Amino acid sequence: MAEEIKKPRTPPDPSSAKYKLSKIAADAYKDAVAAKARGEKVAWVSSNFPVEIPETMGIATVYPENQAAGIAARGAGARMCEEAETDGYSNDICAYARISLAYAKLKSCPEQDVAMPDVLLCCSNICSCMIKWYENLSRELNVPLIMLDIPFNPDDEVSEAQAAYVKGQFLEAVRRLEEITGKKWSDERFQEVMSNSCRTSRAWLAATAMARYTPSPFNGFDLLNHMAVMVTARGKPEAAEAMETLLKEYQENVETGKSTFRTEEKYRIMFEGIACWPWLRVTSAGLKSRGVNMVTTIYADAFGFDYDSFDGMIRAYCKVPNAINLETARDKRVKLCRDNGVEGLLVHTNRSCKLWSGFMPEMSRQIGAACHIPVVSFDGDQADPRNFSEAQYDTRVQGLTEIMDSRKGGESV
Amino acid sequence: MNTRELLSRFHAVASDPRGQMKKYLEAGERVVLTAPVYTPEELVHAMGLVPMGAWGADMPLEGAKEYFPAFICSVMQSILELGMKGVYDGASAIVIPSLCDSLKCLGQNWKYAVPAIPFIPMTYPQNRWGRVGTGFTRAGYERVIADLERATGAKFDPAGLAESIKVYNAHNAAMRRLDEALAVHAEIGAAQRSDLFKSAFFMKKEEHTAWVEELLAALEGEEPGAPKIKVMTTGILCDSPALLDIFDDLGLHIAADDVAAQSRQYRTDCAETGDPLDALAEKFAAMGCCSVLYDPDKKRPRTVVEQAKARGAKGVVVALTKFCDPEEFDVPFIKRECQAAGLPVALVEIDRQMVNFEQARTLLETFRDVLE
Repeated sequence: MAEEIKKPRTPPDPSSAKYKLSKIAADAYKDAVAAKARGEKVAWVSSNFPVEIPETMGIATVYPENQAAGIAARGAGARMCEEAETDGYSNDICAYARISLAYAKLKSCPEQDVAMPDVLLCCSNICSCMIKWYENLSRELNVPLIMLDIPFNPDDEVSEAQAAYVKGQFLEAVRRLEEITGKKWSDERFQEVMSNSCRTSRAWLAATAMARYTPSPFNGFDLLNHMAVMVTARGKPEAAEAMETLLKEYQENVETGKSTFRTEEKYRIMFEGIACWPWLRVTSAGLKSRGVNMVTTIYADAFGFDYDSFDGMIRAYCKVPNAINLETARDKRVKLCRDNGVEGLLVHTNRSCKLWSGFMPEMSRQIGAACHIPVVSFDGDQADPRNFSEAQYDTRVQGLTEIMDSRKGGESV
Repeated sequence: MNTRELLSRFHAVASDPRGQMKKYLEAGERVVLTAPVYTPEELVHAMGLVPMGAWGADMPLEGAKEYFPAFICSVMQSILELGMKGVYDGASAIVIPSLCDSLKCLGQNWKYAVPAIPFIPMTYPQNRWGRVGTGFTRAGYERVIADLERATGAKFDPAGLAESIKVYNAHNAAMRRLDEALAVHAEIGAAQRSDLFKSAFFMKKEEHTAWVEELLAALEGEEPGAPKIKVMTTGILCDSPALLDIFDDLGLHIAADDVAAQSRQYRTDCAETGDPLDALAEKFAAMGCCSVLYDPDKKRPRTVVEQAKARGAKGVVVALTKFCDPEEFDVPFIKRECQAAGLPVALVEIDRQMVNFEQARTLLETFRDVLE
């Protein structure tokens, strides 16, 4: 058997967006470890907690969801989930939570170690499950928990009552954090952070909107990686700079006809749901091999925190994707589909995420009808590899491709 | 009526909620469905409407599968199924709180699956304390009131709410006394005990209180039956007759419960002074020790142990509703606390599609042997 000849990897260009974004994500972990070593307090933070708070106060952060995704992508999802299950956690519980609770016990996982927390910052705008997860972390690690409750909004607009409720908690969260960390809130610094966050968000929105061109200048799976910076670091100037580089690269790709989707783009789809991190390569290859580019996802919209005041920021956090009603959630996706020439919707029915998947069948039916596109779903999980079937995924993607092809007149497959 | 006749009366209501609803509708009353886990029933009652609990049913699922993936709990799925099948026809509205992720999804799906019965959301705060929390709870109540007025034409009046609060406090007190009596009267079986709690969801509270008082009076005059092995139950639901028969068959006496559909409903009273809407918001703030209510100090597992000990329970049965993640997050802590206190724990996974209880029987048999 001939020995496989591996092509030498080209070292990443330090001025590229990919390099800059990877460095920001990696540095966040290192910065937290360094802060801990200096005796500073470290916070574990849920993904849609307002980053403006820890960033303004200069508190080092770790994002357990990002850590869990990294652990799952590097192949340790099942091992960590099973660890939590031996402690009595049901395998029905969110796999990110199981991995995080296992890490809280082991305090070690070579696939992604992090600094241990002195305080927990939880926000419920992503799901109610997050509250239970952080309650348990707080008890297991014996560290204080600051829980910012941003309820699911059944209405189309954010009410005055909700804004007042969230604002009151925001101020209390700052007060408690000052007490716990000894660091101070500064309005001046907050203005800077707010400006950085909005600048980063605007660049992100503009970059992801470049998918409106055919072919798209990027492979949608890129967004899943870059998203980590949007979650954790959007308040930093280097994040804004990196996102602006990303936008520039995509603009150049459009001008030169290039794309990071390195094959012919035959079909353009929207991918719905969190990535199957343990099966990222499989899910990506299953699309690419058929010339299917995932040109957009709700993440393109999810982190577009563009606001111009404190109150505007409060309202922005009340409108994140998992905190909005079916109609608002549907309309955002319909817009993304229409703006980006989407021809099919591939839905990840994510075993870990009840809220995201619990009204997805009805919402995706409505999106399909509004955009006249086929909708296909597959079963998977964001971090537990046991809940995914490669054969089912392949069959479903094949089915979606065939429908899209027949609508094009059948010449492509 | 003797005790047996009184128990039969509760059983008739608990086992036929549709019949009960029909009776109210035929009498010209308007019925409003109230979904788990906590809905401000007092508001519905105060507006002259009949609140009727909607906690689903043991049944196969068909239509609901078009809306929910399989990993959403069967309580939510069967509520939607009942709605789609027309079992709730005639109801003026359904109030669904936002206390867990699956409940949020139930509300969104309901709008399309059962469009004839208006969905009224009750958005509760999880940071429910202080001016910030109670202010938001009050706003949620005001929204429910406005929606109820729109859906039914009924009008809200604070004085009426003050009266309803008294009715609900009296019912709470009666249910707590009943729970104490049931801890002594081992002759009342687990399924009969369940009927007493379940029927409360399908009757006006003043009517239910009167029945409970009658039963309490009858029990006072009776010598309690021979003692059995006392256990405590905890979970969201524990109302499956097939499961409860196993308790009776094995001589297990439910002497206390921390079940959401049972005693958790009746722990907290509402102040009868001051502005009644504010008082109701304060009542919600005072509630706790429940998997769907933010519990920063994780008090629930300790209270389970304390309650079990106080009632002389020899062990704890966790009736875990499959796919209920709020409960699943609490289970490891409940197990640990119980084990530290020397209380054996049996974990029985249940759902509303369960037809074969042999595994549960084997598990509870072993548990009984351990307790003996």
